[in-house]
Order: sequence, then C-alpha cells, then structure tokens
Amino acid sequence: MIRTTKFLAIVKHEYKKVVLKWSFLIGTLMLPLLAGVFTVIPLIIFSLKGEPTRITVVDRSGRILPRLQRNLSPDRLIEKAKTAARDAMMEIDATQEERMRNQAAQFMQGFVLTEYDASGRSDEEIRQELLGKVVSGAVDAYLLIPANIGTPDARFEFRSRKGGDFISNDTFKDALNDAVRSQRLADANISEEQVAVLSRPVNFDAKGIDETGAEKDTGGVFIASFAIGLLIYITLTIYGQAILGAVVEEKETRIAEILFSSARPFELMGGKLVGVGLAGLTQLGIWVSTASLLLGFLALQADFGPLLDTVPTITPLMIVYFLVFFLIGFFVYASIFALIGSMVTSMQEGGQFAFPPIMIMLGAFYFCFAVIRDPNSTLSFWVTIAPFLAPITMPVRILAEMPPFWQIALSIFVNVIAIAGVVWVTARVYKVGMLMYGKRATIPEVWKWIRHS
Amino acid sequence: MGDGIARASTADFAICAGDGQNEATMPEENGPDVSLRVSNVTKRFGDFTAVEDLSFEVRRGRVFGFLGPNGAGKTTTIRMIVGITAPDEGTITLDGKYVSHELQSRIGYLPEERGLYKKMRVLDQLRYFAALKDVPRIEAEKRIDHWLGRMQLAEWKNKKTTDLSKGMQQKIQFIATVLHDPDVLILDEPFSGLDPINVEFLMDVIDEYRSAEKTIIFSTHLMSTAEKLCHDILLINKARKVVAGSLREIKESYGSNLIAFRGVNADGLINDTSLVSRIVTHADELELHLAPGVDAQTLLKRMVDSGVLVSKFERTEPSLNDIFIEQIGGPGAVLESKGGLG
Repeated sequence: MIRTTKFLAIVKHEYKKVVLKWSFLIGTLMLPLLAGVFTVIPLIIFSLKGEPTRITVVDRSGRILPRLQRNLSPDRLIEKAKTAARDAMMEIDATQEERMRNQAAQFMQGFVLTEYDASGRSDEEIRQELLGKVVSGAVDAYLLIPANIGTPDARFEFRSRKGGDFISNDTFKDALNDAVRSQRLADANISEEQVAVLSRPVNFDAKGIDETGAEKDTGGVFIASFAIGLLIYITLTIYGQAILGAVVEEKETRIAEILFSSARPFELMGGKLVGVGLAGLTQLGIWVSTASLLLGFLALQADFGPLLDTVPTITPLMIVYFLVFFLIGFFVYASIFALIGSMVTSMQEGGQFAFPPIMIMLGAFYFCFAVIRDPNSTLSFWVTIAPFLAPITMPVRILAEMPPFWQIALSIFVNVIAIAGVVWVTARVYKVGMLMYGKRATIPEVWKWIRHS
Repeated sequence: MGDGIARASTADFAICAGDGQNEATMPEENGPDVSLRVSNVTKRFGDFTAVEDLSFEVRRGRVFGFLGPNGAGKTTTIRMIVGITAPDEGTITLDGKYVSHELQSRIGYLPEERGLYKKMRVLDQLRYFAALKDVPRIEAEKRIDHWLGRMQLAEWKNKKTTDLSKGMQQKIQFIATVLHDPDVLILDEPFSGLDPINVEFLMDVIDEYRSAEKTIIFSTHLMSTAEKLCHDILLINKARKVVAGSLREIKESYGSNLIAFRGVNADGLINDTSLVSRIVTHADELELHLAPGVDAQTLLKRMVDSGVLVSKFERTEPSLNDIFIEQIGGPGAVLESKGGLG
C-alpha cells in the first residue's frame, strides 16, 4: 500500500525540515547547556570567594580559639564541603534555601584569625577599638568570646562588615558552635570521642527490593525516574508541536493540494510522522549520549564516585522498553497533533486546540510522581497501562521498579491499539481536512468525515 | 447556416470535444486522440452535489479549456482527475486506465491555490516535488537547472521562498508542475498574478507541450484568456455541463445571429423586436442580436431600403464571454464568488 521510494522521499524531507533548522540545533544544545548552566554557574559564582575573612578574636575564656582555629583549618573545611556536596545530590526535595546553603558549604571559606590580647582592658574599650578597626577596613570582623562559656547567658558578640555574606557567617558560626560545644563537653569531663560515638546517627540501611528480591539502591532512582519522565514529556510536547506546525503550514500554504496530487494522504501523513519521529530520536540520542558522557566524566572524578553508585543501573532491556514507549507516545500524540493541524486554519487556532493533548501529557507527567513513590500501587498499575498516559508513566515505573513482564506487554498492547485507532481516525480527517480551506472544521463535520471515508 | 444546431443549452446535450466539422474525426469510443475520458461522474459532499453526471473527453495535442464560474465544480472535477478524491459515481480513465495514485506521476497539476514551503530553498522544494513524482535524483537536478535557466531564475536557486517575488513563486510553482514531464498538464488559473511578459512566456511553454502531443487542461474563469488559448471548451455551471465542443464550432453556432453595426437613422428598424431581439451598446458600435428567423441579409436589405446610412455592418462571432454570460445567466452568476470546494 505504501510505495517505498515515495515514502522515503517524504520521510527524508520531513526529517531534514526539522533537523536542518536553527531551532533544532539550538534546542539540542540548549537542554544540556541549561542543565550545565544550572549546575555549574552557581558553583562558579559561589567559588568566587575573593579575600579570606579577617577576624580579630578576643578570647576571654582562653580555651576556644585553638579549637576554633582547628575547625576552620583547610582540612576540616574540605571534609565539610564533601559532605555537603553529597547531601546536595541526595536531597532533591530540599528547599531552595537549604540547597543554596549546601552549595555554598561546598566551598571552603578562607578565614584568617588574629588573637587580640585583652588583658586589663574593659569590653567597652576593646569594642571601641575593634569597631574602629572594622570600620576602617583593617579587619573584616571581630568576635568577643566571654570568659564563662558555660553559662546559659554567655553571649558571643560577632560584628562583621560582611554581614550579608551568609556563607562565611554560617561556616564561621558552625565552627564556633562546634568549638564551644566540645569545650563545654571537655569541661564536663566527657571526652569528645565518647560523645561522637554516642551521638552517632543510626546507620539507616534503606534499600529497595526488586521483583526478584534482590536489593537495589533507591537513592538515585527518584532523580533518574523523574528525569526520564520529564525527558519523554518534553520531547513529546516539542515534536507534537513540530508535527502540528508542519501540517498547518502545508494546509495554510495550500501545498497539500500539490502533495495530494503526488502521493496518497496516508503516505504523506505516515512519512511526516516517521520523519519527525526520527528527528526526535536524533535529538533524544544526542541528549542521552551527552548525559552519559557527563556521568562518565564525573565518574572519573574520584569525589563523585560514591554518588554515581546511586545512579540506578539501566539495562539494555530497559533502553529497549524506553525506546518502545517513546515511539508509542510519539505516534499517538503526533497523530493527534496531525489531526488537529488538518482541522484548523492557522497556527494560532492550532495552538488552542493543542491544549487538550498537552493537558493529558501534563497529567501523565504528574502521575509519574505517584508512580515513583509507589510503583506497585493499583494507581501505578492503571496509569502505566492506560492509553495516552503509559508512554510517559511506564518508563518511569520501569526505572523505579521493573513491573512484571505481562504488565509491560499489556501496556504495549493497549497502547498499540490506541495508536491504530488514532491513526485510523487521523488518516480520515487528514485527507479531507487538508483540502478544506477558509474555515475550521467543526466537530460534527469531522465526525462525518470519519464515518464516511 | 442553420441556427441552434450545435447549441447545447442543456447539460444533456453532450457534444464531444471534437471538431464536429467532419463526422470521421469525431472520436470513437476509444479514439486514438482521446487521452482523458470522464464518464458520468458525480461527486457529492453530504447533501451538496459538487459535480453531477459530468461526461467529457480531452484530446491530445489540443488545449482543453475547462470553464465555469467559481463554485461550479471545476476544482472538484480536477481533483478527481488528479486522483486526490474519487468520484461517487462514474469513471475517469487516462489512456483507457482508471485514474489512480499510480497514474499521478503522469499528471502535472498546478492548483489554483498555490503554495510553497516558506522557509525552504527553491532547490530543495523542487527536489522534493520531483522526488514525490518519482523523478530520479540526477534527472531531477538536470531538469531543475534547465527550467530555472529557462525561467531566468537560476540565481535564485538557493534562496528561500520568502525572498522571492509573487511572480517568481508562480514560476517556481509551474516548474514543480512540469518537472516530471507529465503527459497530462492541468493548469488551474495559471496566469493569475503573472505580468504580461511571463504570461506570454507561459503560453509559449503550453504551446510547446501541445505540439508535443500532450494533453492540456486549462481551467479559468477568464474568458479572454481561454479564447486565445483553447481549442476545445467545456463550460460547467452548478455542477453540470452547459456547453461543450470545439471553440470554433461553439462560436459559429452562436455567432450566426450577431451583427456589429454602426449607422445613422436606424433607430426605427433596430428597435423592431421582430427583427432585432436584443441590442448591446458598445463604445462606437452596436451589437445587434437578430430575432429568430431573421437573417443578416434581410436586415441589411431593409436598412438600405429604408434609407439607413450604414457605415459598418458585419456579421461577428460572440466572444466567449458573451456565450458564458448568456449560458450562465447574467454577470451576477459569474461574479458570484465562493470559497471552499469549487
């Protein structure tokens, strides 16, 4: 029924039309670039630490300063930065503020502490002098440590010209807290080691179990599942719109009439779907390879090794499934967009009519969260089988936890039938709608075309 | 010459698209000259009948004028010939074969509603259209260069449609129509938007195709153009055939009662409705329609006898436009414009 050479000419034409556009190149580069920008730029900005903070310390207790100095030593700061980096990767549900703190903490802040000899001078005198120094810029801040650090009303006075530099302030506050706390413990004759041992957090060994009972790490599953759902959702939206645009253009410019005098409508529609679909796969391929390269690069950085262990294993079978569901999703939604394109008279009208399928896709995307939280719930089962939803939800579920094969097979079966139905309807509407100029087709009209042709 | 012999005032009166001068040249059922045959074709859209029981034949090496007001069913008929839609009833054959998608590559169709991909280079568009018509790549390149050269568009090859003028786009469109060297050329309003030089040029190309014994269907609502170009005419209105036949024959059948007249003191005579049924006033002469049964000779004699000073008295043919208006029923019908399926 389909003539190969003609069909291939159409596929090639549609593919080139998408891929050889600036928007494709920009779009392809944009996503990795944006991802890069959102992770790298904050790092760069926060790493612009500039001058170390010069702090004059008046230690009336005479016992805190050495501990503080130790806590602010480069070694300890590096240690802290690493912990923070790990936390940042694990806690994607952290609030924005927590995230920023975490990111900030990944950078060592330089501190230069100078001891101030306060013997025989009143607090007021010292305060006057140090304030003068801070204001004149000789130092950035001063810290007044009271003599009796044990009392509840002991006040640690910190005055800084860099009051807004919460990164430095936080780091410094943490270091001071630690120093004072350990000194208090020492004063109470409790060894620090003892405290460390006793207050150690429980080793919460949380691991998911897959269908074979084997353990699997759940840490990165959430991120990865979310990422794959988002990626499929974005790609389907972009390429659905691309189809819509291409169809509307051919209708609007009346090219359809020439095309229809050269090839069957079905060949034209099919060629368009396949051509644009291949363009989508190309872009997806570029993104996935970029991501893999990036992960591979990170894996080589020793610091990130443990983090990468939490990235879920993706087996070749999973990739095949992802591909299958992506293609199913593409054909279902691309057909719907082609249908809309052949009904409307302009891109603006098309945009309005594109709203329902986009809402369905968005709904499917939101269902992903439910699927990630509980991949085996009844809800997860139904939304990963349902036509129109499964192309987005099923890959997420497969990644979160591989469902029994029969469920995947059922989902593929149901959705392939959905494709057949949608394509059947679209083909009928397409061949009439594309040649109808001047007014938008009404639903009863479309219904008539479907029944009669 | 007898009146009304070849006048097809109803759609049932079918005249073959032949000369009609000589019975022997009338195409047989499978006459060698006939390439395209439309037989009793009807097409409906719901309750609306776009084409009703239409039959005609198109011969090779002649230009077939397919005329009618907007909305008469021209575009629908052409779409059926090109294989875009199928007739509900009746058949269409090209060289004895039913038209189908397989035959599409033998037909070149320039639709009235034209379009090119806006942001695509001229070369790429032409390549695509050629590929759709199964022209091999190398051959396509050769023909594209040939036609762009002929149309003096060679330097626009790598430009996008949006960079071209309207006329240039028209010419590109025409190239797309003939790239696969079709046996049947269907041109729907091919001259609209073209300047006179390009109109002339296009007419030459059409004539070339005609000389090469190709089948050419030329659809228009501009009677003057059709008059210049067409050998055979089919006039349809409201889905039905109105007049068909060779232009010559049709004109003769209508022309025997038309007199171009200029003279003085003729008022009494020409206002006598038993002699002149209708008077059309032109700039410097009158067009007299003889009443039935009156021949030109009689009228002239009466004029001379009654002392009319005749400065011009000439039997003329009606313009196609006149025939058109007479058949369709006044200019209102002609000017009536309707979008959608024609």
